[in-house]
Amino acid sequence: MTVTTTDASAIRALLADVDEARGVRQEILDEGAKREVRRAVLSAVCVPGYQVPFGSREMPVARGWGSGGLQVTLGVIGPADTVKVIDQGDDAGVNATNLRRMIGGTTDCAETTDTRDATVIQSRHRIPEEALGERHIMVYQVPVPEPLRGVEKSVVECGRMHAEADYSKMWVSLYEDIVRNGLITASSGYPVEVDGRYVMATSPVPRWDVPRLHQAEHLNLYGAGREKRIYAIPPHTDVHPLTFADVPFEVEYAPDSYCKLCGSDDVFLVEGGPNGGYVCSDTEWCTRVREGDADIVAHRKRAPLGQLPDPRRRLVGTEVEEEVHGTVERTADTPEWALRVSEVGKVHGSGGAAAVPGTGPESGSAVSPSTGAIVAAWDVDFDVAPGEALGLIGESGSGKSTVLSCVVGDVPATSGTVRLGAVDAGRTDVLALPDEQRRKLRIDSMAVVYQDPAAGLNLDITAGGNIAERLTAAGWRGYHRIRRRAAELLDRVEVPLSRMDDPVRTFSGGMRQRVQIAKALATEPAVLLLDEPTTGLDASVAAGVIDLLRGLLAERDIAAVVVSHDFAVIEALTDRTLVMQLGRVVERGLTDQLFHDPHHPYTQRLVAAARR
Amino acid sequence: MASPVLAVRELRKTFTLHTIDGRRVSSLHGVDLDVHAGEHVALAGASGAGKSSLLRCVYRTYLADSGSVRMTTSGEPIELTGLPDRAMARLRGREIGYVSQFLAAPPRTGPLETVAATARRRGLDREQARDAAAAALHRLNVDESLWDVDCGVLSGGERQRVNLAAGTVRPPRLLLLDEPVSALDPENREAALSLVDSLVEQNVAVLAVFHDAEVMRRLATRVVLLADGTVSRDGAPADVLGEAA
Repeated sequence: MTVTTTDASAIRALLADVDEARGVRQEILDEGAKREVRRAVLSAVCVPGYQVPFGSREMPVARGWGSGGLQVTLGVIGPADTVKVIDQGDDAGVNATNLRRMIGGTTDCAETTDTRDATVIQSRHRIPEEALGERHIMVYQVPVPEPLRGVEKSVVECGRMHAEADYSKMWVSLYEDIVRNGLITASSGYPVEVDGRYVMATSPVPRWDVPRLHQAEHLNLYGAGREKRIYAIPPHTDVHPLTFADVPFEVEYAPDSYCKLCGSDDVFLVEGGPNGGYVCSDTEWCTRVREGDADIVAHRKRAPLGQLPDPRRRLVGTEVEEEVHGTVERTADTPEWALRVSEVGKVHGSGGAAAVPGTGPESGSAVSPSTGAIVAAWDVDFDVAPGEALGLIGESGSGKSTVLSCVVGDVPATSGTVRLGAVDAGRTDVLALPDEQRRKLRIDSMAVVYQDPAAGLNLDITAGGNIAERLTAAGWRGYHRIRRRAAELLDRVEVPLSRMDDPVRTFSGGMRQRVQIAKALATEPAVLLLDEPTTGLDASVAAGVIDLLRGLLAERDIAAVVVSHDFAVIEALTDRTLVMQLGRVVERGLTDQLFHDPHHPYTQRLVAAARR
Repeated sequence: MASPVLAVRELRKTFTLHTIDGRRVSSLHGVDLDVHAGEHVALAGASGAGKSSLLRCVYRTYLADSGSVRMTTSGEPIELTGLPDRAMARLRGREIGYVSQFLAAPPRTGPLETVAATARRRGLDREQARDAAAAALHRLNVDESLWDVDCGVLSGGERQRVNLAAGTVRPPRLLLLDEPVSALDPENREAALSLVDSLVEQNVAVLAVFHDAEVMRRLATRVVLLADGTVSRDGAPADVLGEAA
């Protein structure tokens, strides 16, 4: 059955009659929904910058068109309030007018276009030029609430990064922006650190308004309807734009620009139509300036004139000193090893330790006869001292890479312990640490070079940016210092400096591997794990990488573990070696001894195969 | 008398070849041997008598089956056969040199770098190591134009001289030599032999294999004759070699 327009309006008129008769006015949000919004707002105020999830309702505006802001406004507004709505800078636009009428018409609040009279201001672009005070609540319609969306696609991973305050990818994107463009170009949604904790996108306001958020007198509420998030910046909260210590934050500004209507040069300006020039983005302010109804002296003090773009300050910057080494105090009780792996095992499948009997070299199989689980590695023991390189050799499937993955934390170990000399003098089993702490170990204590450069690098960012990721994760905040350190490292691994600012995707396999090695060494970790570092490379390129690694290991007091199936690689890089077969260590010894006097039948076969 | 730098007792070594049905090849059947500081002990004997195997068992390139290999550095003697791999690797770098007839340089490195790396392991700083390496290469007439050339492209004789330079630079306490001059022409051979001869004055304990009896007579302070994996004679060069000749 179809309902004609006439039918529909007749029905609506009928319902309105009924409501009027019952003294009920049409509401967009029911009381329950409003209460939920207010609960989310309270949480958001308590944890500034944290995105609180809420059950976003269907609104009479499309999602992405302000449905989140509208729900927040409807949730917090009451009869004593006066609402103002800004679309772009404009109170008079169709969207702004409709939203204002809708809010006014479905609640008992008053409507205004004058910021001074308003108590709740819903905006999809600007903060008014007029001063805001404690009576004001700014409600922002947010298109994209997640500041990390641009650098990380996975929602789960974004959540983890916020939880662990792991924002190095954000810093890398700023680094890349400066490298590509000479300055940070991000306009709307500039990332800020709120209250020293959460990184938040300031979307929808332009950079011009970002300084107004720091230690504001008013409450800021952000609503994202599509993404179902509410977050807040309460009054008197520290809000700092993310910037490198030596590259100042800048607002948008066109030199010598001013509003062609009111003459102001200390306001956010937009292009003034086909005849050129600029006009105020905030039409209310523009009108009042012209009418002489604006305190332009006080406004000038508010304006971010100290943060106008200045190429002379940019990229010259003051020097920031940073620590290269995660300084490790060596005391009397520091063990002689840097890494100690004890009885590490990994069983894929059910049974755990119970699945182990009946597997291994004696049984000729890694598959458990009792449970069918794969025993990838079992009872693996070794330690490595500073300045020493240990080899792990064995054919594909012998479990050598599994052991490495367990040590790094890429794969959870079924059994065993892993200790680092630099962590609690080796008393702590790092396998038992929470994920967050283990991840931090990988920033300055333990680095991995994978067979596949794509596993250790982001191929879409530059060589320098990949190194910057490790350095910013370690807390480096000086752009120039980061650049210099990255250049030093790339020079050491013989990547031409002219390629420093090219995306790694444009590099050859050997060069990618060199960049990965440079990144691994960026913070001079005490332990370096190399997983088949030359396996994907052709012979001449592999030789170059081996020579490089040999030089790097010789000039550092680093403890290295080299996993390879190739005796030539092991011989070139290591002093001692473990031979693995079917998940077990079958023989260990000095590398040249294993090569010249192998005892285990399997090692003898390996050596025989290596002789050409 | 001071304890010997190297004391070998009852050393036995057998190889089990798993690739050939577990065949056992016997090499050393209880070798006893001492080398003191400033002594040059030459190992004599027919091919297969176990001369090289003995050197390798001392250096731990071969793992002995039983017996003892003790080395005295500064304090108490150290039992090398049971020494943990890491400690053995460190001891090798600092205290024991091993020069085989084949160059053991890492691939794609030049003579100067190879020799200097050894000198650094023996306690010299970067600068000193370079100077010492240069002096050692000069002494063995390795042409300066070859110093930064990949060792892999050098001639057999050149390689052997680089190897000897690395073994004797900043001489270690114990030096094991296995036919170190086999590929040298007469002139270079003379330079090499006089270098080895001078080690004794520097108080190095040398255990060497030379196939040439003349060389042994000239350099050795003592000769140990091996036959079928045991010591058959041990005495002054004239006594042992006179009889063998």
